[in-house]
Amino acid sequence: MGLDLTARIGNVKLKNPVLVASGTFGHGKEFEKFFDLKKLGGIVTKTITIKPRLGNPPVRIVETPSGMLNAIGLQNPGVEKFISDKLPYFRKIGVPIFVSVMGYSVEEFENVVKSLEKEGGIDGYELNLSCPNVAYGGAKMFAHDDTLISQVVSAIRKKTKRTLIAKLGPDVSDIGRMALAAEKAGADAVSLINTFIAMAIDVKTRKPVLANKTGGLSGPCIRPIAVRMIWEVCKKVKVPVMGIGGIMNAHDALEFFIAGASAIQVGTASFMNPAAPMEILEGICDFMRKEKIKSLKEIIGSIKE
Amino acid sequence: MTAHREKCTILENKKIAPGHFVLRMCSPRISKAARPGQFVQVLCSDSFDPLLPRPFSFLTATTKDFSILYQVVGKGTHLLAQAQKGDALWVVGPLGNGFATYFSLRGAPVSKRPGPSLLRPIAVRGNMIFVLIGGGVGIPPLYHLAQHFLKLKPRINPENIQVFLGARTQSLLLCEKDFKKLGIKVEVATEDGSKGAKGYVTKMAEDFVRHKDPRTLRVYACGPTSMLKAVSLISEKYGVRTEVSVEVPMACGFGACLGCAIRVKEKRTKMRGKKGGKNHRFAMACTEGPVFLADQILWD
Repeated sequence: MGLDLTARIGNVKLKNPVLVASGTFGHGKEFEKFFDLKKLGGIVTKTITIKPRLGNPPVRIVETPSGMLNAIGLQNPGVEKFISDKLPYFRKIGVPIFVSVMGYSVEEFENVVKSLEKEGGIDGYELNLSCPNVAYGGAKMFAHDDTLISQVVSAIRKKTKRTLIAKLGPDVSDIGRMALAAEKAGADAVSLINTFIAMAIDVKTRKPVLANKTGGLSGPCIRPIAVRMIWEVCKKVKVPVMGIGGIMNAHDALEFFIAGASAIQVGTASFMNPAAPMEILEGICDFMRKEKIKSLKEIIGSIKE
Repeated sequence: MTAHREKCTILENKKIAPGHFVLRMCSPRISKAARPGQFVQVLCSDSFDPLLPRPFSFLTATTKDFSILYQVVGKGTHLLAQAQKGDALWVVGPLGNGFATYFSLRGAPVSKRPGPSLLRPIAVRGNMIFVLIGGGVGIPPLYHLAQHFLKLKPRINPENIQVFLGARTQSLLLCEKDFKKLGIKVEVATEDGSKGAKGYVTKMAEDFVRHKDPRTLRVYACGPTSMLKAVSLISEKYGVRTEVSVEVPMACGFGACLGCAIRVKEKRTKMRGKKGGKNHRFAMACTEGPVFLADQILWD
């Protein structure tokens, strides 16, 4: 039985709904020895900024119950080096590529996208509005304010016809409002959730474990909150929603689809099992065959309330 | 780099010292590819708590199986200690660059070039002495290295290897007998003086290095960060080429998460990030390391 796993995000058609999340897939090449990258539904790259970034000093990561904190600090080679050194490899894979971009101001966001617009082989952008591990110079994180979200999204909308995804952060009281702001400003989709701002303390030294003091919490411990937020957002917006947050296996992914997500991104799971995205995809197919479901669209938003 | 992901059957999980175990697992693919100083990532449980795999250096590697020597320190290693012969665990490896064993003995190139790293091939002349300095649970990869040295062609003789081992106390001195079985000279130091010299192993190593021509020495070290820092100072003081294998918190182990950062020298500037960016950058211990030239690392 042929299964229809396709999904549409903006003007990009995905052959299947399993993507890999930004910052968890290196520059792609790291995973080629573990599975055939061509089988992915798509790739969201590590976040790229206009200038290279060193990233935060160590300690950058710490494990927590069923999760981990990270404060990498957007270490990346900068947009120029990304284009010359990293993009050619992504292009060769032959799956939709969404470049995650970030700036400290609307202008910086625009400049990164402007540089990337000249390059082929990019299907869309994911606007990282919600990195918890960089200093915003006293300013608010974009994802924490719906006015800031619409400013960034509408500015980038004017610069590109490519698919635009707004990645939202979970540390807000009304995630639906944030998603709505992104949709109104012209985003083709929203992706959520980014990591939660969290902290671990070394009780002996009484110092924060991470050099950055706080970090982003990810992994299966955040999944139920992610599912709830996706459910909330799907009721508010019409654009497709990409579900992210502690997806470890097909069962987890299905929760997101039932809540209304059109596609999912696998993140932290790839650290414990680099082949996780493929196993999740196969698990989704197994479920559909067993339940005699022909199209993924029958599952999306099928929650019974 | 040829890393494999495989569910490996446990052949042996034996206590060898208080809180220390040797775990031997079956995997021809991982074992054959393993080089000294490289490591494996082991998932200690099938559940999500603990979530991340744990990195361990190789102790031995044959054509069929490999072993690791671990200390029980937390949840992951506690679970590992309970694993039985016949159980199977997910392993990814070999990972990392490993020690540089790309020698030129009397002009003849031997062994394979190490993976991507800050290491350059070593030119070896005449009567070289390979000084191995190990502390605590950092000793295992040096034992793997010593075994490798003795297998090289042309051979490095046991007389050309000098091992210094350190531990808190006698019962925690790992691999001493194993090195001796290879015919290698071993000197030991314990912090409480229960065996060998009382104090730190680095003191002993410095006394040895001081009287030698630095050009005839090659130092390899693995142990606690404080020990590696001390070894780096010694190598700088006497001008000895030194490789150190670092241990830092790690998530993925293969270069995807950028979590295992270590500060190294870098000439390029104009990097934007915390603490400026002059002459340093963050290297990943999992792919560029875990072995670095001692003079490349900027210790905090």
